[in-house]
Amino acid sequence: MKKNVAVYLVLLVITALQFVIGYGNIEGSQLAVRFLTFAVIETILVVLFFMNLGSEKRVFVKFVVYFMLFVLATMNYIWTDSFRLLVYRVTKIGPS
Amino acid sequence: MSEAHLTMGAHTAPPMEERPFAIPSKKLAMWLFIMSDVMTFAACVAAYSFLRNATPDWPRPFHGVTNVAVMTLIMLTSSLTMLIALQAAKADDKAGAFRWMMFTAAGGFFFTLLHIRDWMGMMNQGVGLFHNPWGPAAFGAAYYSITGFSLLHISVGTIALIVVAIRYQGGRYNADDIELFSLFWQFISLVWLFIVPLVYLMNLAR
Repeated sequence: MKKNVAVYLVLLVITALQFVIGYGNIEGSQLAVRFLTFAVIETILVVLFFMNLGSEKRVFVKFVVYFMLFVLATMNYIWTDSFRLLVYRVTKIGPS
Repeated sequence: MSEAHLTMGAHTAPPMEERPFAIPSKKLAMWLFIMSDVMTFAACVAAYSFLRNATPDWPRPFHGVTNVAVMTLIMLTSSLTMLIALQAAKADDKAGAFRWMMFTAAGGFFFTLLHIRDWMGMMNQGVGLFHNPWGPAAFGAAYYSITGFSLLHISVGTIALIVVAIRYQGGRYNADDIELFSLFWQFISLVWLFIVPLVYLMNLAR
């Protein structure tokens, strides 16, 4: 139980840090990268200790981890089109 | 082959396949459900990120996030109380497990109330699914869909937790069933930890 309480406290501290950073002066991609880093650390802690994945068979751990990495990779499929919309935004339609 | 020979077991079924990944089938099913839910949330987060990145004048409507901070504290604490309930169930402490599950359910209930309060605040500011006072129409749809999906999980999860707790106390469920539910609860708690920075902290009013 002590281990779980320790993980809970670490999660609280990380979340508090996220709130502090959110109120800071960091903007844009730097902010997103920091938040994502904290979220990934939180995920590892929760999955390993609260969901006890660490105590499962190695082959199952691999199965879950590879799946998660695949999902994370495919999520990044959006960025090219998202930046295209941002940079080449159509502001006026029709003949001028 | 005589009839007697058949009934004596000469025609037996093939031996059962080993359990995949050497974990109980119910637990594997829960993990597979969680993994499919990961894909659904990933699609929501990807769609939100797409819109957020592609829209230069994306609104930053959140002046204070005290409500969200309290919701996060409740969610994290309920994760811990769920683990305590699981440990009590494994130690055959039925009353203790039931009590801690009820604490967890109370956390889920208060979280739901605060979430609805958060939504009411946004609605009072004029944020609807397809319109808002600040411009990009997609903001409302993105905000309500991603937070709504999380709210749906937590509110339905709270009801399910109460059902599981009552059935556990009645002797129909055992510690293994509590463990399955604990997996689900930890997962929805984790999802909230992604939503807070993405939806709220990145859109704080400057």
